[in-house]
Amino acid sequence: MIKVEGLYHSYSNDEKFAVKNVSFDVDKGEVFGFLGPSGAGKSTTQGVLTGLLKLQKGKVTVAGYDVKHLKNDMFNRMGVSFEQSNVYSKLTAKENLTFYSKLFDVPTRDPMELITLVGLKGKENIRAGDFSKGMKHRLTFARSMINNPELWFLDEPTTGLDPAIAATIKDIIKERNEQGVTVFLTTHNMFIADELCDRVAFIVDGEIKLIDSPKNLKLQYGEKMVDVEYKKGGKTEKDTFSTLLPEDKARLKQILDDSEIVTMHTKEASLEEIFIKVTGRGLT
Amino acid sequence: MKLLNSFKKELILATRSFYFYIEIMFALVLLAVLLFVIPEHYKIIETRYVYLDLPQQTAAFVKESLLKEDTDGKMEAVTLQAGGKKYAAELVRKEAEEIYLLESGDIVRMLADTQAKVGAVVSLDEKNGLHYKYFLQGYESIRLKNLISVLHNIDENELEQSFNNQKVHQVKPELSPLNDRENAIPPLLAFNSCLMGMFIMAAYVFLDKKEGVIKAYAVTASSVSQYLLSKVFVIMLTAAVSGLIILVPVMGVRINYALVLLLLLTSGFFSSVLGLLIASFYKDITKAFGTIFFILILMVVPAISYFLPGWNPVWVKFIPSEPIIQGFKEIISINSSMAYTLFTSAGFLIAGVLLFFVTEFRFKKTLSL
Repeated sequence: MIKVEGLYHSYSNDEKFAVKNVSFDVDKGEVFGFLGPSGAGKSTTQGVLTGLLKLQKGKVTVAGYDVKHLKNDMFNRMGVSFEQSNVYSKLTAKENLTFYSKLFDVPTRDPMELITLVGLKGKENIRAGDFSKGMKHRLTFARSMINNPELWFLDEPTTGLDPAIAATIKDIIKERNEQGVTVFLTTHNMFIADELCDRVAFIVDGEIKLIDSPKNLKLQYGEKMVDVEYKKGGKTEKDTFSTLLPEDKARLKQILDDSEIVTMHTKEASLEEIFIKVTGRGLT
Repeated sequence: MKLLNSFKKELILATRSFYFYIEIMFALVLLAVLLFVIPEHYKIIETRYVYLDLPQQTAAFVKESLLKEDTDGKMEAVTLQAGGKKYAAELVRKEAEEIYLLESGDIVRMLADTQAKVGAVVSLDEKNGLHYKYFLQGYESIRLKNLISVLHNIDENELEQSFNNQKVHQVKPELSPLNDRENAIPPLLAFNSCLMGMFIMAAYVFLDKKEGVIKAYAVTASSVSQYLLSKVFVIMLTAAVSGLIILVPVMGVRINYALVLLLLLTSGFFSSVLGLLIASFYKDITKAFGTIFFILILMVVPAISYFLPGWNPVWVKFIPSEPIIQGFKEIISINSSMAYTLFTSAGFLIAGVLLFFVTEFRFKKTLSL
C-alpha cells in the first residue's frame, strides 16, 4: 500500500535533512506504527506521503500513486487525521463534516453517523470553535473517515483525550483495520502502538533504526524470565524462573500445582524500553 | 459541484466573520458621507479682513459698491473675537466671500495673523488713487500673487472690456462635468469595493492558516484552485454588493449597471488574487502587514492624483487603482465611452488570471505553512 525508498527531505533545501535515507513498505491491511520522539521526522515523513510536503529525493508510492506526480484521485482512497485539530471553528460539527463529504468523488459516510461514532452526538449543531480541545480532536478524527479510506494516516490519534474516549478511538481503529483498512500510525505513545500495530518503525534524528513487529521486538529484547510470588507455609515467597531452562520450567510447574499464586509476570520488555535500548533515546 | 460546495462554505464563513460586515458597514458609511456630507456643488466661502483707510466719502462709496454684491444688500454689524478681545466689524456677505470691514489696519493685521486669512488695508496714494496693502499667509499660489500684482496695475475699464470681448467655446460640448458628489464616487468605489477585497482576502487566508484547514483541504480530492477560487468568488460578490450599496442610492438609474458590475467583478477578481498571492508568502497577518500596508499606500497614490488633476505623473498610470478609478469615472460620466471600461475590465481579467496561476503554484508549494 505504501512503498518508500531512500526518502530524504530538507526544509532548508540543503544538506540539513529532517529525514534521511528512509525506506519501508506497508502492506495492505497492515497497521504500521511510525514511532519516535518529537522532531524525529515522523510528521515530515507523513507530510511527504500525504502530499503536503513536496518529494525532494527518493521514491514514494502511496496506494499505487507516485507522490512525485500527485493526482487528486489519490485522496479519494486515503484519509488523514492530523495531530493538531484543524476544523473550521465558525462551522458546526455537522457543517464541517458535510462540507468535507462533498470534496470527494466516492460515496461518503453520513456525517451524523461519524459524529455519533466519536461520541459527539448532541453537539452536532455547536460551532467547532466552542468545542474543547478533545472534542475538536475527535471531530478531526471523524473527518478523516468521511470518505471510507482504504489507507488511513493517523497522527497521534489519542493525544489529549481522556482514557475512555481514547479507548473508543482505539476500538474504531481496530474495527476499521479488521475491515481491511491499512493504517499508518504516527505516534510517540508506545502503549497505543503496542496495542494496535502489526509492525513498528523506530525513527530518531530522521533515520529509521529498526522495523519489526512489537511481538518480535519483545521476544528479541525482553528477558525470557517469569517473576512469581506465591504462598508457602503461610509466608509469601518470590522467585524468578527461566522459561528456557528445563529445571526452572519443572520447578515453576510444581509451584503452580502445589502453591497459591499471588502474582506472576513475564519479564518481557515494553516497547518504550526497547526503543530506549535500540536508539539510546527516550520518547519525550 | 466541489467548487460550488466550497463557495457556499466560504459564504457561510464570510457571513459569520467580522471582515464581511466591515466591508458592508464601510460601504454604508461611505454612502452616508456621499449623501449627507459631500454636497452636489461644494461652495468654498473665503473670509477677508479689510480696513478702509479712506476719507469718509470715499469709504462710503466703496462700501456701497461692495453692497451691490451682498446677498441681501445690507451691511451686517458683527463682533469678532480674537486673543480674548472683541472687535466690531461690518460684514458683507457675497456668494463665495465674506468681507469683514474693520476699524483699523492693526486689527486687520492681527486677525489675518491669528485667523490665517487674507487681510487688506485700502488707502489713498499720493495721486489720490486707491492703494492696497495685503496681508497674505505665504502659502497662496504664485498665480494668486501674480493676479493681485497685475490687478492693481492695469486699467479697470480696459480689463472689463477685455473680459467682455473674450469668447469661450467648449471643446467637447457632449461632456458634462461630474458634480462634487459624483466626482467623489470613483476613488471610494475603488477602495471599498475592490482594494478592501485584497486586505480581506489576505485576512481570510491567514485565518485558514491559523486553523490549519488548508492542510485538511489539501488532503481531499478537491484541487487547490477550487479552494482559491471559492474565496475569490466570495470577495467578488461582496465587492459587487458593497459597490452597489454606494452607487445605487447616489446615481439612481442614470448609469449602465452592467458596466458597473463588470468593472466591480473584474477589479475585485484582480485585487482578491493579489491578496491571495501576498498571503502565500507569509505565515500570519502580522508578518504580512508591512507588505499589505505598502501596497495599500501605493494604491492610494492615484486617488491623490485624481483629486489633484495638475499632478499626474506617468508612473501613476501603472498603479492598478488608477484604471479602476478612471473606469468608474467613465461609467458615471454622462455620454462617456464604454470602450475604456471594457478595455480596463479585460485588462484586470487577464492580469487576474495570470496572477492566479502564480498564486496557485505558490499555494501548492506552501501547503504545509
